[in-house]
Amino acid sequence: MKRTIGLIVNPVAGMGGSVGLKGTDGEMYKKALELGAKPVTPERTRDVLSHIRNRDRITLFVAPGKMGERHVEGTDMSYKVIGKVGRDTAAEDTKRISEEMVNNGIELLVFVGGDGTARDICDAISSKIPVVAVPGGVKVFSSVFSVSARAAAEMIEAFVESTDLIEEEVLDIDEDAFREGRLASKLYGYLLVPNVKKLLQGAKEASGVTGSAVQDKLAVAKYVVENMDRGILYLFGPGTTVKAIADELGVPKTLLGIDAVFEGKSVGTDVNEKRILGLFNKYEKRKIILTPIGGNGFILGRGSKQFTPEVIKQVDRENIMVVATIDKINRLDCLRVDTGDLGLDRLLSGYMEVTVGPKEKMMVKVRC
Amino acid sequence: MLKEPIKLNMNEVAYPPSEEIIETARKSLMDLNRYSDPEDIERLLGLLADYSGVPKKHIIQSPGSDLLIREIIHAYSKGRKIVIVSPSFFPTVQAAKQFATELISIRLSPPDFDLNPDLLLDQLNEPCLVILDNPNNPTGKILVDRRIVGSIVERRDVLFVVDEAYYEFSGVTFADMVQEHPNLAITRTMDKAFSLAGARIGYMIAGEAFFDAFSSFYMILPRPSLYAAIQALKNPDYMRRNVCRVIAERERVWETLNDNLRGQAYKSVTNFLLIKTDVFNIVEKLANVGIRVSDLSNQLPSGFIRVSIGNREDNDAFITGYTKICEKYSQKKY
Repeated sequence: MKRTIGLIVNPVAGMGGSVGLKGTDGEMYKKALELGAKPVTPERTRDVLSHIRNRDRITLFVAPGKMGERHVEGTDMSYKVIGKVGRDTAAEDTKRISEEMVNNGIELLVFVGGDGTARDICDAISSKIPVVAVPGGVKVFSSVFSVSARAAAEMIEAFVESTDLIEEEVLDIDEDAFREGRLASKLYGYLLVPNVKKLLQGAKEASGVTGSAVQDKLAVAKYVVENMDRGILYLFGPGTTVKAIADELGVPKTLLGIDAVFEGKSVGTDVNEKRILGLFNKYEKRKIILTPIGGNGFILGRGSKQFTPEVIKQVDRENIMVVATIDKINRLDCLRVDTGDLGLDRLLSGYMEVTVGPKEKMMVKVRC
Repeated sequence: MLKEPIKLNMNEVAYPPSEEIIETARKSLMDLNRYSDPEDIERLLGLLADYSGVPKKHIIQSPGSDLLIREIIHAYSKGRKIVIVSPSFFPTVQAAKQFATELISIRLSPPDFDLNPDLLLDQLNEPCLVILDNPNNPTGKILVDRRIVGSIVERRDVLFVVDEAYYEFSGVTFADMVQEHPNLAITRTMDKAFSLAGARIGYMIAGEAFFDAFSSFYMILPRPSLYAAIQALKNPDYMRRNVCRVIAERERVWETLNDNLRGQAYKSVTNFLLIKTDVFNIVEKLANVGIRVSDLSNQLPSGFIRVSIGNREDNDAFITGYTKICEKYSQKKY
């Protein structure tokens, strides 16, 4: 059976890198051109396409011109062009065409770009269909990206042959801060990608692999809810594992924000530092529930800036509860913190207990 | 006819058992209609006791040491916290997940994979069963020394099991401590160094605290396995020669990989190497050229594989295949 796959290329992604601009978001693209930057995504796109072995099983839908069509012309792959674009392309084109492709029935979207492109795709299609994200930008910090063009080709092949899916994060990197040498990022959203790891399990080790990530998440959530104490204000950090806890409790949860819960009831959604400190005036006992960002392992400082050093100091280290699925923890080197307060970061370093299952905790190193 | 794949995924020893062992096992096939003789099982226990340097009453045998570990976890998980490390010997992890009422895994983090002894000791403030593989599988590292073992076993509420599956390669054992410390047990196997993976002979050198739970644990071993094990223990020098060959090959493979590919293989005191690569899906790529290695992506961050040390020919095939794949697919330039 043939699979229908969409292809969108951000033609300007990555151009800032060679001329030292650290990104082409917004108007920076024009500056990159003035500095003589050359497109990098066309070659990356051709590299991916040339390494797909089961291409006869793919029906390709491509964006027009330099956003896709031009890189497929002259190859042996048949394709259909979706949408229209003008001479200059923009983020809106990526969003509009990806939506059109989904409406035309694509089962997988391959895009070439950077973190900015991933954000646009996330806005447009969220988790409606899975994606394969090919690194082509200057900033590719999001764990949604494959490690290389060849790896992307293998993920596409795996999807065609049928594999299950896994959630990966899209990060929002502050480009201005990045230019100043600081890495300021927050969690932007999630996209689904083919879970190639499942195809790699060795015979002996694979036999005991835990169930699906979704089931593991539910098991963690149930355990946490059963063990929540009365008389304590809980601050729920961002992430889908923490959201599963809120869902189990039946309280609203903003996926990327911080929400407050007291005795099973919501007492604040998407709260900022000021509101959190306001809640602290009312509730004396507090706990924070966090989950690490996949790929880099940050629990504080990236994706949860509302947890300021002031907030964290008023909660104390022992009242920070970290939850994660075993699969996610196993893919991390360690947990990380970057609160902006070096003294606090050092205090948070060492080992932290992570709840990974109903009866299971893992002691994991925290680095700053 | 398709060429047999090179099996470097199960930590087996590539050298076959000695002629005497094979002949003894072959002879036993003539009596396959009979159970093993209890007197011969006692004989095996005696030989294992001599080999381990403890009185016979401390030896408990079983078809495979993983079965013993499973039985220990099953017997002692109620009312006790189980403490293990991660990554670890996978059957230990599986059994702990299945039977534990409370499970604490201490994560060994790359790049050094060291176990923080203070962190471990901090966990032992209530009744615990601690199970550590030493050397650790899959990192190939020694996790605890005699001083740390002493600190653990002096806690009376703690039962401590050290899995020494790779003892013959590491030379590190705490078997001599079980008589003095009843809450210490050592599990070992003849699968690896003795070239008897197919026979599945495991044993435990148990401190007295373990005697009760195992008083009725009596496993009749299959005749070929039993007689092969007895013959192997009668002449352990054959095993020792093979261990020396494996260690020499391990060091050669380690040096060659690190010369060719700049430090991708970790130091090991076992018969396997932990390797980190940036090549995507390398297990499948190696399988495509007829080499099986162990994928660790369900225990460690992506890119880690475990490769058993084979004979010289197998190792050369691995080095060549692995280096070619890295040169073609790795982002690093060699």
